[in-house]
Amino acid sequence: MRKYWTVFQVNWQNALQYRGPTFISILGNLLHISVLLYLWNAIYLSNQSLGSYTLSDLITYYILQLIINSMVLSYISWEISDQISEGSFSNFLVKPVNYLHYWFTINLSGKLFEGLIILVVGAILSFLLIAHVSFPSSGLSLVYFIFSMILGGLLAFEFDFAIGILAFWIVKVNSFKYMLQYCIFFLAGALLPLDLFPVSFQVVANALPFRFLVFFPIQIFLEKEANPLPGFLIAMGWIVFLYFFLQFALRRGITRYEAVGK
Amino acid sequence: MSAIEVSQLTKTFTTHRKEAGLKGSFKGLFSRKPLYKEAVKSVSFSLEEGELVGFLGPNGAGKTTLLKMLSGILYPTSGEARVLSFTPWQRDRAYQRQFSIVMGHKNQLWWDLPPAESFLLNRDIYGVKQIDFQKSLDEMVELLKLKDLLDVPVRQLSLGERMKCELVAALLHQPRVLFLDEPTIGLDVISQEKIRSFIQEYNRLKKTTVLLTSHYMQDVEQLCKRVLVINHGRIAFDGMLSELSQRYIDHKVIKVRFADAQTTTPPPGLEGVEVWDAHHAVLKVKKKEVAHTTQRLLEGYRIEDLSVEEMEIEEVIRRIFAEAPEESLRNRP
Amino acid sequence: MKLLVNKLTKIFVRYFALYRSFLSHNLKNEMIYRANFAINVGMDIFFMMMNVLFFSILYGNVETVGGWTFHQTLILVGSVGIVRELAYLTFRKGFLELGNYVRTGNFDVMLTSPIAPAAHLAFRHVSLTDSLGEGLMGLLLVVYGFLHLSNASWIGIPFYLLMLVNSLVIYYALCLLINSLVFWLVKSQELNTVVYYFINTARYPREIYHGLGKIFFTFILPSSLIATTPAAILVGRANPSLVLISLSVAGGGLILGLFVWNWSLNFYSSASS
Repeated sequence: MRKYWTVFQVNWQNALQYRGPTFISILGNLLHISVLLYLWNAIYLSNQSLGSYTLSDLITYYILQLIINSMVLSYISWEISDQISEGSFSNFLVKPVNYLHYWFTINLSGKLFEGLIILVVGAILSFLLIAHVSFPSSGLSLVYFIFSMILGGLLAFEFDFAIGILAFWIVKVNSFKYMLQYCIFFLAGALLPLDLFPVSFQVVANALPFRFLVFFPIQIFLEKEANPLPGFLIAMGWIVFLYFFLQFALRRGITRYEAVGK
Repeated sequence: MSAIEVSQLTKTFTTHRKEAGLKGSFKGLFSRKPLYKEAVKSVSFSLEEGELVGFLGPNGAGKTTLLKMLSGILYPTSGEARVLSFTPWQRDRAYQRQFSIVMGHKNQLWWDLPPAESFLLNRDIYGVKQIDFQKSLDEMVELLKLKDLLDVPVRQLSLGERMKCELVAALLHQPRVLFLDEPTIGLDVISQEKIRSFIQEYNRLKKTTVLLTSHYMQDVEQLCKRVLVINHGRIAFDGMLSELSQRYIDHKVIKVRFADAQTTTPPPGLEGVEVWDAHHAVLKVKKKEVAHTTQRLLEGYRIEDLSVEEMEIEEVIRRIFAEAPEESLRNRP
Repeated sequence: MKLLVNKLTKIFVRYFALYRSFLSHNLKNEMIYRANFAINVGMDIFFMMMNVLFFSILYGNVETVGGWTFHQTLILVGSVGIVRELAYLTFRKGFLELGNYVRTGNFDVMLTSPIAPAAHLAFRHVSLTDSLGEGLMGLLLVVYGFLHLSNASWIGIPFYLLMLVNSLVIYYALCLLINSLVFWLVKSQELNTVVYYFINTARYPREIYHGLGKIFFTFILPSSLIATTPAAILVGRANPSLVLISLSVAGGGLILGLFVWNWSLNFYSSASS
């Protein structure tokens, strides 16, 4: 356990040293979100509306998306696939470290670090737009929301890790990974709320687990999810299933890695 | 008129120090301690047209920084320089067409294309007429025996072959001034020798002014009559190579091989012993002591072979450097 | 005056010849890595499709956005694609490589050869294929959108193309300004992430902004001009003041960008080794 705590600390140091990229990516996200806020505002000003959303709902949706992007969504697959395709993964083969747990620690520490920053940003943004932010009416919704964020974080990590270790099997994985990640974000509801999609799309998106990353937590916050408990159960099922699946896939990948030899 | 004139040229770099540990990283967020490093300290010298001068000094002495300022790559902190009566860091196009810089550890050729392609591009960049281009290319290809390499992708060339091509690329526009920064670094002995002969020949033929840095003594010994020794950013010596040895070599080395086995302790009163074993001895003695010491050895022992040698020039340089005080890092500009 | 015109013509002819020379070298280089070509094009098309998907879903819920219909918006999305391909054909990739050049000290060569460093950097990496998918897909969207306009007018086309070039100038000026920081930061990845976000927000119509946002996205990060100005001409929504603003942002930005860039060059501390 102690070794993972050290990894956690070292990663924080790293994050402080390389705060530039973190800061810039948050800034960029903020930029995109503000453009979208202008977009929604323009739509509602012209007396149109999107589904069952009020303007406040939408603004809240995207502020939450900004926070979720930093605290929940995972971006570690880049380094994982680099390590695998460049061969520095070998260092892990000889160490008594579980690769999945190692990256879980890195991701967790990164997300907490980014989380601290984004909460400040989100607070400022909410304060500026206070008149346009919908807060949940009950404390219970807030508890549910936080719980769903934790589940989303776990799932997001597992998906991203899966994308990362694709490098065991695919040589030029980067472009493919880009597209896969984007598809996941789209199906998670990071770009548009899923219930604005055409009905046939919605059926597909609801059947897939990606909605637990963004859409599901925000629906809870906006109190549009009447009973989140079944959702919790399904998400937890996926988390457990993916955990065992990833451990299995990792073992297969390592066998393949050793066979190819780098 | 001098080809290169440098006066009081100074360059100070600023760097930051990061303290170790998480706490240090946090501190680094808010305040960072700047460090000032004076790479070049009010250096002055001048070079006549057609001279081939060697620039000597250990790593980090400021040789490269100086060359970079003379090429207009770096902007000096203070001081003046004129090359072909241009101020280099104004980066006048007319100046850039008349000089070249080649750095031993940098590659300006297109990695995946044959060198011939890079040459063509340099022709266009420097606006060289096709006739002149072909003429100087043929000349150099002949001198360096590159004919078979022109169509091989650069990445498949050996380091030595690549360096030759770098030189060709840099000389296609027939520069009047050539800066060479460690042109033989990392090369095998044969390639080093070929590059050296080429530089010598080229300088003789074209009367190009060449300023060359190297930490291979042989480069300098073979190529340059005049040397500038730089250490800790200051010129420690500027003059003829022969003068350098005269001034700093006050010792000679006596090497002895004994005819029969000796005790392994040197006799008392004999000075400058560096090696003394059963069969050999090496002594470093002051010039005026040489005769006396040699006599004493010849009288006292049966000697099979004895030689008196000059100190190696590298040793000389090392001694010059040992003289200059270390003061390159400090906390004020 | 005549002398000045002569001189400018000479400079233009020289740089155009240089551009051709560099382009042909880069094409030869790209031929060596043909496999990347298919991947790049595929990825470009994917992302363009995702942008279209976004707007399709949006327009499934609303009639107009900022007064723009779906087909008009396709012209916006397509125009961004075309501008990006034009940028890769002229300058963009050089800036992406700039961080490496500065970190390794290979930027030296740009400072010692007799071409303006900004042009050298740009030409050194001109690329036809890196953004070709986006360019072609963009063209397709513009044509498709244009053919579905109720008031399509062919007269707008030359002006549309002119304003595309103007957008390219704005894009270039911003690249210069932001990338000038590289000589202090010694890496350009984050700087170019900012540029990426800039061009990425260009596909939304300018009409959605008001107040501070409008000023910000016009003068600070002028993404609201990139696609909207050319597209507005093509769909017949342009007004003289919009064109005037775009032209002056391009002109002013370029002068400022070149000035800052040339000043920043003096702070380049060439890495040795």
